[in-house]
Amino acid sequence: MTMSTWLAALSALVAIGAASAYVLLLGVAIVRNHPEGYVIGFALATGLAVLAVARARARRWPAWLALGFTSLVLVGGAWFNFVGARVPDTPTTFKVGDPAPDFTLPDASGRPVTLADYRGQKPVVLVFYRGYW
Amino acid sequence: MSELQGLGAQLSEAEQAGVEIIAISPDPNERGQQLAEGLRLRYRFLADGDLAVARRYGLVHARGGPDGQDVPRPATVVLDRDGIVRWFSVAHNFQVRPAPGDVLRVVRSLRGEKG
Repeated sequence: MTMSTWLAALSALVAIGAASAYVLLLGVAIVRNHPEGYVIGFALATGLAVLAVARARARRWPAWLALGFTSLVLVGGAWFNFVGARVPDTPTTFKVGDPAPDFTLPDASGRPVTLADYRGQKPVVLVFYRGYW
Repeated sequence: MSELQGLGAQLSEAEQAGVEIIAISPDPNERGQQLAEGLRLRYRFLADGDLAVARRYGLVHARGGPDGQDVPRPATVVLDRDGIVRWFSVAHNFQVRPAPGDVLRVVRSLRGEKG
């Protein structure tokens, strides 16, 4: 294989590796909380693909394929992280020092759970999440 | 699932801190509870199907879901024994959660207090 083809393969590997590493390491807080890491990985991969194109002589298609793939992933990943995943900053109805609004919701077995029942028992951590991702 | 792994990273230590961790989502929670038990997490999963509680807390991201539906803003709220809010964090990017260490520091400081 020519140098250009090697670089093309490497760039695709870096792009796939950056995405896989982020997904596989979602449980690791420092990885999860720095999603810009995979965008940097995609940028690096695109840079390698540019190098591959610059060095391509006879067989050019692997380098161009790598460049097409990595730049698509870079644009998609950057859009997702910086635009798609943004959550608008609207005010909460509670603040530090206030009693938390009470509620009753069913648990997994359908039994109602009331927040106020924990009063005087122990501290509570409420985790609101989307149910996926 | 990935959400639960993120939560799991928080719980492994928080569990020892004598605290109730309540996970609230619009998803049917039976699946969440099964996953949690598989991961040996002592969470209470509560179903907030119509987002009534998220709305009461001001934690709704209008049309933020993949199909344009309303979803909760990912948030972590720490209450002391008296039900007073002592610390909270609301995500600005739904991929990001508060560092488990930050949540634990608050929980530990509450543990030291008389109930």
